[in-house]
Amino acid sequence: MANFNLRKAEPKDVPDILRLIKELAKYEEMEDQVILTEKDLLEDGFGDHPFYHCVVADVPAEQQRSLTGYSVIGFAMYYFTYDPWIGKLLYLEDFYVMKEYRGFGIGSEILKTLSDTAVTNRCSSMHFIVAESNKASIDFYKRRGASDLSLQEGWRLFRIDKENLLKMSAEE
Amino acid sequence: MDFTIRAATLEDCKDISRMILELAEHEKVSDQVKITQRDLEQDGFSKNPFFHGIIAEVPEHHKSREGHTKVGYSLYFYTYSSWKGRAVYMEDLYVMPEFRGKGIGKALMSKVSQLGLAAGCTQLNFTVLDWNKSSLDFYLKQGCWDVTSDLGYHCMRCEGDALEHLAQGDL
Repeated sequence: MANFNLRKAEPKDVPDILRLIKELAKYEEMEDQVILTEKDLLEDGFGDHPFYHCVVADVPAEQQRSLTGYSVIGFAMYYFTYDPWIGKLLYLEDFYVMKEYRGFGIGSEILKTLSDTAVTNRCSSMHFIVAESNKASIDFYKRRGASDLSLQEGWRLFRIDKENLLKMSAEE
Repeated sequence: MDFTIRAATLEDCKDISRMILELAEHEKVSDQVKITQRDLEQDGFSKNPFFHGIIAEVPEHHKSREGHTKVGYSLYFYTYSSWKGRAVYMEDLYVMPEFRGKGIGKALMSKVSQLGLAAGCTQLNFTVLDWNKSSLDFYLKQGCWDVTSDLGYHCMRCEGDALEHLAQGDL
């Protein structure tokens, strides 16, 4: 196998991107958390000021028919962030290859493309989060030289959801 | 005490740079700050900024011991959750020690929340160091929750040689 093509996502890829987002969420046992719609993805990724960028992996027609019926079989969603100490960073939001297409180097190639994008855009680092229970992914990333900032430096990710955001924004 | 919260301008970069260093010193890692005032001007105030800033300012008669009226800041940018959509990330939140306890930090965070909500965001994210007990307490009191603790999410980084090797396809 292993005939695949990596390219920048286009508006027509939005249904596949959402499908893969949901598959990845299911793998993380969080499928019911996905409330994003195709309309959101279209507006937020392909307007004047995109909130995110996406690369997709697709396979030629012959292969898709024999395996899953889909041609877009992997993706990565990323955006640029900023660290006031070291400058621009690339943040990897989602990264997923369909089960049937794993083990062919597609994931590695996606990561290579992203790292290349980071370096080309003069980002000093690529950041992402991984669930500590996801041993396979943690090993995948550590093998490639990633360090765990939560363990090594004690960083904890905090979040405030909409309900409390509204309360906080109303305070004088 | 009287204070105002407003959007940062190019002219504020000198004070933002000063306070970034103060915050780094507070986190005991000031030697890691490579970004200069000039970098902040370019990265935050060009056509496609990588971050936005807000400043807390006090009137002249309340200026700091060293004569500063810009006494707090927050740097934030927009991110994206593949589950929920638009989000805002608060990268830095800082109030000079002599101006703490007067609601300035809360007001800065409130402003970031307002701006985030106005931009259609449904969550605000940020990171805190696990030894920073006073900050952890402050955030938990504002209704934040610890994603690392509750969901086991670890913040990972790939940088320097590791990033270069990855870009070249080495393993």
